[in-house]
Amino acid sequence: MPSEVILPRVDMDMATGKISKWLVPPGATVTKGQPLFEIETDKATMEIEAEADGTIRDLVDASARDIPVGSVVAWIDAAGEAAAEKPAAAEPAPAPPRGRQQDEGAEQAVAESPGTPKVSSGGLARVIGRERATPLARRLAREHGIALADLRGSGPRGRIQASDVAAASKPVLLEPRPARSIPEASPPATKSLFAAGDSTNPETTPVAASAAPLSPGSATLVRLREGDGTPLVLIHGFGSEANGWRPFLTGQSFTGPVFGLDLPGHGGAAGNAVAGFDDLVDAAESALLEAGLKGAIDVVGHSLGGAVAASMAERGMLDVRSLLLLSPAGLGPEINGGFLQGYLGATSETSLRPWMLELVVDPQTITPALVRATLKARQRSAGVEAQRRVAAAVFPDGTQCFSIRADLARLRMPVRVIFGTDDRIIPARHAAGLPPLVALHLLPNIGHMPHFEASEVVTTILNQVIDPQR
Amino acid sequence: MDAAVRELSYAQAIQEAMAIAMEADENVILMGEDIGVYGGAFQVTGDLVHRFGEDRVMDTPISELGGAGVAVGAALTGLKPIFEFQFSDFATLAMEQIVNQAAKIRYMLGGEVSVPLVMRFPAGSGTGAAAQHSQSLEAWLAHVPGLKVVQPSTPYDVKGLLLAAIADPDPVMIFEHKLLYKMKGPVPEGSYTVPIGKAEIRRQGSHVTIVATAIMVHRALEAAIELAKDGIEAEVIDLRSLRPMDTGTIIESVKKTGKLICVYEGVKTLGIGAEISAAIAESEAFDYLDAPILRLGGAECPIPYNPDLEKTAVPQVDTILAAARSLLAGRL
Repeated sequence: MPSEVILPRVDMDMATGKISKWLVPPGATVTKGQPLFEIETDKATMEIEAEADGTIRDLVDASARDIPVGSVVAWIDAAGEAAAEKPAAAEPAPAPPRGRQQDEGAEQAVAESPGTPKVSSGGLARVIGRERATPLARRLAREHGIALADLRGSGPRGRIQASDVAAASKPVLLEPRPARSIPEASPPATKSLFAAGDSTNPETTPVAASAAPLSPGSATLVRLREGDGTPLVLIHGFGSEANGWRPFLTGQSFTGPVFGLDLPGHGGAAGNAVAGFDDLVDAAESALLEAGLKGAIDVVGHSLGGAVAASMAERGMLDVRSLLLLSPAGLGPEINGGFLQGYLGATSETSLRPWMLELVVDPQTITPALVRATLKARQRSAGVEAQRRVAAAVFPDGTQCFSIRADLARLRMPVRVIFGTDDRIIPARHAAGLPPLVALHLLPNIGHMPHFEASEVVTTILNQVIDPQR
Repeated sequence: MDAAVRELSYAQAIQEAMAIAMEADENVILMGEDIGVYGGAFQVTGDLVHRFGEDRVMDTPISELGGAGVAVGAALTGLKPIFEFQFSDFATLAMEQIVNQAAKIRYMLGGEVSVPLVMRFPAGSGTGAAAQHSQSLEAWLAHVPGLKVVQPSTPYDVKGLLLAAIADPDPVMIFEHKLLYKMKGPVPEGSYTVPIGKAEIRRQGSHVTIVATAIMVHRALEAAIELAKDGIEAEVIDLRSLRPMDTGTIIESVKKTGKLICVYEGVKTLGIGAEISAAIAESEAFDYLDAPILRLGGAECPIPYNPDLEKTAVPQVDTILAAARSLLAGRL
């Protein structure tokens, strides 16, 4: 790995320094201990020696004034290393990414899709080691599949910062999506320290670090069952994931394979900048097409996943043979906003359980094991923050801002809707006035999770749809 | 809230809270050195002795250990003493009663009794009171389970937190920065409380989180105004309570800003900034940090008597400004 040549602190009070003279030309072979340059401070001039053997390159201009202590002023490539990349600190990139400066501008850039890993160019013989990087930069790199070793840090002593990762995923970081409405920090205002009568915290909007490159992400297909026949695709609701279908599948037999989708920001699917409902449909559609599910499929969707399923079926890119929608979203404006917030905010079993109880009529359905598993799944999943953004995009202000009614009216495959009359998340009255070809099963005394609370009924209906012979 | 709001000084707000509590509950009593006819070292009790009599506003002998012991005992009998130290530095003399007795009795007796005691500690430097009368020892007491420790920074908060402390069944330690006593601010009439264990965001910002305590809140806000001129928006959190500490508010803020500076007057090493830093490093906010966490605390020395050195020994507005600028410029 190339070594940095740092402008050292040679004087107690020194914050910046000036290189009065380079003693070696760029490209020179230097040996450890060889004087490289003269540093000039208010009080003295002294020679700085090389700390490594190799070829020196990317020398900072000796006329540069006031170089901060700790800055990289050159790089030394060890024998065999090629000077393939320029250090960010020594020479600004020709077209600096927007807001690369300390301003967090670059951090508002939006990734259209996860950055493609940057392949180390020039066959650098890098030593795999601990790169100097901030925790945020590490997390972003991890999420976007970017190798830290391929980045040059613009921070002190070459530390990789969030802006460097954002710059590395630059090709997909250009235009902010117009529809993206991430709550920016509210207009700064100093609240009077002595504001009487107001001692509560102002609403803080928990926004993921503003530095995060954002991506609407993609859906991930999870194979839940093997089989031979027409595939069954299950699309989960908001805040759940493909694995959430496993309890429903227990004890069931299907001839075809069963797939579950992780919608963006859920389960194992990344995606922190879903800008609207259509992004979810795009993601689901692409995932199924990419998986080669070009033949007939049966699709079951729950809640938000039901709306995605209906909209995806209407597009006609996939051959959806039948559609079963459980408590689907997209039929009316109301949704239980308090539930969305409470569910997202819950960090313990104690605080999660009351919200899960909102999903059902029979509290026995929500076993401690289920609460625990749900909490664990949430901790494993792509992140509550990502889901918050999904919620902000598709359910702003506790309102369903998309509709599948027009889609449903155009569908010609068998479509069945199941609603529980006692749904406390989406009111069952949304199921009124469905298009004439859509069949409605209204289950009395059932909540938002018919496939949990009335799994036998749902199974029977599902089998009627996907296997009429049975 | 319909209560009339007046401008009161921090000291007046404390006195008013004590008077309200004493009117409402005859078990509330005041104890301390020179708090009677003299009115207290910082004139906080003022003329309360004339309103409530010497039975309820008691001058104690010049023995913090003795006075604190009597206060703990009084609390065990059902009284609700508010014990004033002349200087928080003298907590050293009463440590046995605070740490081994007040903090432990409820636990040792299986919850059969509690110690509804409030102790008030004038603290901090800046008054030329030199090394033995200028310390910030709040972190010492915040280290002891069984105690609650608060550091109000405004007249509104000190009244509300003091009333919350008096209502609390357990011992609550209130650290009052001496430079705040004369600071004025609006305070509603009548009784209200400010919750113990809840921080307050004094200013919202997206670039850096500054967590501050007591007088440092005001310095951080001054610095934030300067930083805003450079386009740096600092979020300033007034910690208010050291134990229990509202780490949730800090975590959410750091997740937003990715940068954290802790500012406090106590000695930097092994102080509350270390606790805040560690809490953030251990939390989900770790993955949002985009720069090292900074602590700005008191110098590693006794507080000097020389006024210039005294100022230099604890963070000032310039200290906070310089640190924030370096951090935001990526120099740290």
